[in-house]
Amino acid sequence: MSAKAIEMNGVRKAFRFFTLEDVSLDLEHGQIMGLVGPNGAGKSTTIRLLMGLLTADAGSIRLLGHDMPRHQAAAKADVGFVSDDMRLLPQATLAWHMDFVASVYPGWDAAYAAKLLKRFGLHAGQAAKSLSTGEQAKALLLLALARRPRLLVLDEPTSGLDPVARHELLTEFMDVLRDDSRSILFSSHNTLDVERISDRITFIDRGRVVASNNKEDFLERWRTLRLRLPDGVPDWRLPEIVHRDVDGPNVTLTVDGFSDDFLARLGAPVQEVHRMSLEEVFVATVMHSREARPS
Amino acid sequence: MHSSLFISQTDARPMYLQIVEQIRQRVAAGDWAPGLELPSIRALAADLRVSVITVKRAYLDLEAEGVIVTRHGKGSFVADAQGLAMDMRLAQLDAHLTAAGEIARSLAMPEPELIARLRNALNTEEPSE
Amino acid sequence: MNLLTRKLIAKELYLYRWLLVGVTGAGLASLLTASSGEFGFNIGFLVWLTAIIALGVMLALFGVSSERKERSLLFILSLPLSPGDYVRAKLLGLLACFLLPWAALSAGAVGLVLVMPGIADGLLPYTVLLCVFLLMNFAVVLCAVLHVSSEAGMGGVIVLTNMSVSLFMMGIGRIPELGAHMGKPDAVWNTPFWLLLAAELAITLIALALPLVFAARRRDFL
Repeated sequence: MSAKAIEMNGVRKAFRFFTLEDVSLDLEHGQIMGLVGPNGAGKSTTIRLLMGLLTADAGSIRLLGHDMPRHQAAAKADVGFVSDDMRLLPQATLAWHMDFVASVYPGWDAAYAAKLLKRFGLHAGQAAKSLSTGEQAKALLLLALARRPRLLVLDEPTSGLDPVARHELLTEFMDVLRDDSRSILFSSHNTLDVERISDRITFIDRGRVVASNNKEDFLERWRTLRLRLPDGVPDWRLPEIVHRDVDGPNVTLTVDGFSDDFLARLGAPVQEVHRMSLEEVFVATVMHSREARPS
Repeated sequence: MHSSLFISQTDARPMYLQIVEQIRQRVAAGDWAPGLELPSIRALAADLRVSVITVKRAYLDLEAEGVIVTRHGKGSFVADAQGLAMDMRLAQLDAHLTAAGEIARSLAMPEPELIARLRNALNTEEPSE
Repeated sequence: MNLLTRKLIAKELYLYRWLLVGVTGAGLASLLTASSGEFGFNIGFLVWLTAIIALGVMLALFGVSSERKERSLLFILSLPLSPGDYVRAKLLGLLACFLLPWAALSAGAVGLVLVMPGIADGLLPYTVLLCVFLLMNFAVVLCAVLHVSSEAGMGGVIVLTNMSVSLFMMGIGRIPELGAHMGKPDAVWNTPFWLLLAAELAITLIALALPLVFAARRRDFL
């Protein structure tokens, strides 16, 4: 078995108005990675490069050990790829699609497919063009999941899904991870879901990877601190302080790299220490990175 | 068994901590008897719909506290009662002391004052059974 | 040819089965009409011609560009194939879709000329050239649609090729060695005929080969 499920190194892709620059990310087998970024950050581009649908200008991409895009046919035999702008063939029924996929992939689990059909509330006899957006999304995910692929690559899988469908989908994702040889990469705006089920998280903004880490590391390192400093703010030169908000004597600090040692170096009494949600960490990271790189 | 654990994202406490506390409670209450095998990290993660890394962290913490023991290649088990009760009580004590320390720090209270307050609390405490 | 390519070709035939059946039916009906007198011949011929041209245009439009637009291209590309495999399968699939009705209708037209006493057999070379020209036409449109993604560009190609059919039909009769024999009772297979036929077949093959060289090698498929 190859070393990692996904290895991207120094990938670069230039378009007319946008450039993806120096993108590197790794996903071990048995892990789930969440890709988070604002619209236009380059998530879809990264995923398409990964799937061999685009060719990088520089850098290397390996999907399940296969060089991409050169060996994409071999790689895709083990990968389930679903994108939010993907559609079924409108003139065919869902049943036709299921038969088609089943005949192409030996790993198709018909019993599981039937279970998902029921759970997602889909009818096999329906023509694809009569399905709503949400139903199309569920159908595509069913087709990907029922093949039991070694890697799932999902571009905004839960956008357009109602909360019940999202809940069911997350349950299926985590079910995939029961097998430690299977992995998932998904991009999402839903930071709550990403926070819940991801092992690793990568932040992308304006064509660059801004941070990539274990989820627990992110959540442990970031804190919001509230202080009361009636005598003014000391001249802190602490790199951990990513942002400070001063409102008279009330000071709020956003900190990346919180530790007892940091508190000691801070030297000032702290009223409150708050953990940050992934969404807050994400926004703070992106703002900080944009300040550092004003282009 | 493990499906009775409940993780809430709206809870202020981090998810790994919720897992730790709920397992600790069940062990302390005797619902999970010593020697009982815990679900594998992946199985519990899938059942709770949380990331594997979160469950891994919870198990590590529980092992550090002595609530569970992990036998490499075999799985994790509820630790035997003996060391457990003691370790758990000590862990609880440490947690309270840490909390007290944090409050003291936030009030910028000097150490001697904190110790004096502790002594005071010990003197006024009801003698336990 | 691997399993997936075969399945994709079968998919094209399946998805367009009603179009193929409809066109074949209309074409055969038009041939029947053409056998009933001069007026019937003109109407029948027009319908027969329109059916084949329309088949080609619809296959090219729905088969390629609307798949692109409908985002079902992404679904196909998620299958274990390379963009080159996709182009090959698409080419062969749509060609198969066109060939089936075309073969039936061409054979029907040739049969009509041979069988009907009112239609001079001298028309046979012209008929053969016309049928192969329509095949060539389709090959060129298909080639264009696989390379060009703008709707304006595709519209232009379709208009041009349709114009060329009219020009072809007018021009062939003007060639003395061909026009002279059209009304005669016996078919004359002379050199200009063979040259033209060869040229049509050559262009057809080139048009079908080009996508395998260019479109299949595209590095960015989206």
